[in-house]
Amino acid sequence: MELLGYITLAIFIVTMVLTLFRKINLPVQTVLVLVSLVNLLIGFLFRIASDGFTSAILLPNEMIGGIILHPITALLGGLFLAGALEATKGFDALKVIIAKLQKSPIGLAGTLVIIINLPVIASLPCGRIIAAALLPLLFSFGWEGGMGLLTKTQLVVLIGAFTRNAMGSCGPSPIGGVGQIGEGFLGAFFPTASDGILRSPQAFSLMIGTAITALFLKIISQKLYPNDVTLRDKPTTIGFEEEKKITKIKAPFRGYLSLIIFVASLLIAIFQPFGKMPVQTVLVAGGILIILFCRASIQDLMGGIILLPVTAMASGFLAAGVLAATGGFDALGVILKSLSAIQILGVAGMLAIFVQMQTILPLSCSRILTAALVPVLYLFGPAKFNLITWPQLAIVMAAYMINATTSCGPSPLGGGGTMGEGQMRAETGFIKGAYTFASMAIMAPIAAIYMKFMNFTVFSPENPEFSQNLLVLALFTLVIIGISGGMMGIVSRSIGKDVAKNWNLQLIYFLISGGIAGAVLALAVYEIKILQIAQGFIGGVIAALLIGLMVPKTLAAVRRAA
Amino acid sequence: MTEDKDTKKDEQEDKPIGARFEEDQPYVMPGIRRFQFFTNVNDRALTKNLNRAAMLGIASMLAIDVGKAVVNKNPQTIYCYECRACYGTQDKCPVGIAFQAELVVSARVADYNRFLRNGGLKCIRCGNCQSFCVQYLNLPQIFGTMQLQTMEALREGKIPKSMVKKAFEKGLINQAFIDEVAEFLEMP
Repeated sequence: MELLGYITLAIFIVTMVLTLFRKINLPVQTVLVLVSLVNLLIGFLFRIASDGFTSAILLPNEMIGGIILHPITALLGGLFLAGALEATKGFDALKVIIAKLQKSPIGLAGTLVIIINLPVIASLPCGRIIAAALLPLLFSFGWEGGMGLLTKTQLVVLIGAFTRNAMGSCGPSPIGGVGQIGEGFLGAFFPTASDGILRSPQAFSLMIGTAITALFLKIISQKLYPNDVTLRDKPTTIGFEEEKKITKIKAPFRGYLSLIIFVASLLIAIFQPFGKMPVQTVLVAGGILIILFCRASIQDLMGGIILLPVTAMASGFLAAGVLAATGGFDALGVILKSLSAIQILGVAGMLAIFVQMQTILPLSCSRILTAALVPVLYLFGPAKFNLITWPQLAIVMAAYMINATTSCGPSPLGGGGTMGEGQMRAETGFIKGAYTFASMAIMAPIAAIYMKFMNFTVFSPENPEFSQNLLVLALFTLVIIGISGGMMGIVSRSIGKDVAKNWNLQLIYFLISGGIAGAVLALAVYEIKILQIAQGFIGGVIAALLIGLMVPKTLAAVRRAA
Repeated sequence: MTEDKDTKKDEQEDKPIGARFEEDQPYVMPGIRRFQFFTNVNDRALTKNLNRAAMLGIASMLAIDVGKAVVNKNPQTIYCYECRACYGTQDKCPVGIAFQAELVVSARVADYNRFLRNGGLKCIRCGNCQSFCVQYLNLPQIFGTMQLQTMEALREGKIPKSMVKKAFEKGLINQAFIDEVAEFLEMP
């Protein structure tokens, strides 16, 4: 069984890496289904040899058990509702409201900041729901979309930051978000963990990470890939009357009505004022109300459904199901644990790599690997291997989980970030550097520090120094942002015309930032212990190397070659 | 005559470079000609069909996943978030089951191996774990239904003896089932 686990894990990882580097030029769903079939077949043969045919015949059931239905059905329900909103001109109504908001004291900048953080405010179980609904609206802010409020560069930053925020918002979601998996495991020690022990660290680090993503997109990505966003900018010759016409928007009454139903559905799904009901039921009920009162057809609603994320997610779960059934994840646990025996890494270094696992291998849905890796992390704690204590486990869990939930953002394998790239008319991979950097260098350490200095005050009564801890958290956050932001400025100024040099420069930036992230994580877990901090730094550098190497050097060349 | 030339020219332009249009090639499967399998890879016909087959496979698996829960009389399991909040039961579980969510998932797809491994037949349906479920699923009912199905499968020989033996040796069978399980394992 152990050998079988290593074989199936190797097949899965090699195939995924080859697909990520486009060496296997097939849609990810097809690759995942083929991997599942191959691993299933190998598992079947092993089972026949070891336990007989009766045992082997049960393997498909074990594989199907890997499918997590909740995110799939929630996503379908959300897309259904988004389709209804689109068909009934709900977005036009939203545009009118935004046009009015920009004339309010918060102005256009304030309005955009609120919009960018809407996903984390709404915290739905899948970021794609709100992204599918609002990305077309953000696109309309540009000249191509009709409102003419933002330039091309501003629109790239807006769409990129919004999508980053959305593809991480399942972390703090209380209605079936990925973060709840971690909270469930922490419930074994913290009695009130399921009330939301990870919610604040996730939301806080996501907001900061979103801002850093915006900065990275603005001052690095657009310089690295200058010709890979085909959005049209403001026309050089445009008359005053024409400009006035562009910004003038009207919406029908049914648009406002459908928008009200949409917002009400989201609020009911989140706050559950009429008692506990599945989020899917609320979303579909909202869609039906829009059909009844806003004259939308069922076809309009179906039009909102995007199949790729659903199928990519389902196929990923199938592959994970086979790996779990054949012992692939047990093998991964053994490999990760054995890393901690390497002197230069130790437990701190291994954990620094572990928290970045899903940024290293970003799949189409964070749940695919999370469902497998969180139990491994749990076993590192007092439940089995005793490598870390319960509070230390909670700190690592906070860091791991935010990176896990944001991992679908930079994934070219049907990740949610590709929706943003589509809207900004960018080549696949444009956002990868910014997204992976924010996850690795900003979100993971900030989430760990937040858990250490803030959440323990709430969830562990023996740590009551609230105001002092608040100050420490603020200082750490400023230091992390300051170092990353400062280095980002240096990198941005050093970028020239030499593609290879630019990429190397970015890689060095990744390595230093990754090292600092690992050291901060070790500091949060072990406090001031030089050896562990050094080990965390080394682990962080290794993780950053793997992440940095996956960021594409050029994008247009890939398109031309294809 | 000129029109014919134009039509032919248009047809040639419509054909993608590298594609084959041998109408006399025999069909291997409905809609798929032989060359699509064996010769010209560039036209990616094989890939297209492969993708279609993969999509069909995914859709079927989703349908089976939902359908099995309904057929197995455990439709509530579809609503499980798999958030593992039930793990908070800890010491309040009188028989020491640690991973309740695993039992819910195994009940959804009739995964006997996972159910036995995680102590499904040890559960006494006291309901202490239910208050931890964020979805308020009726966990004792779900586990009870799956216990009956597992015992039924055991009687029908659908579960290998080695699997049951492991659970038995680890003390994962409760008093209600222990006699029957021992008989199944032919233990004295």
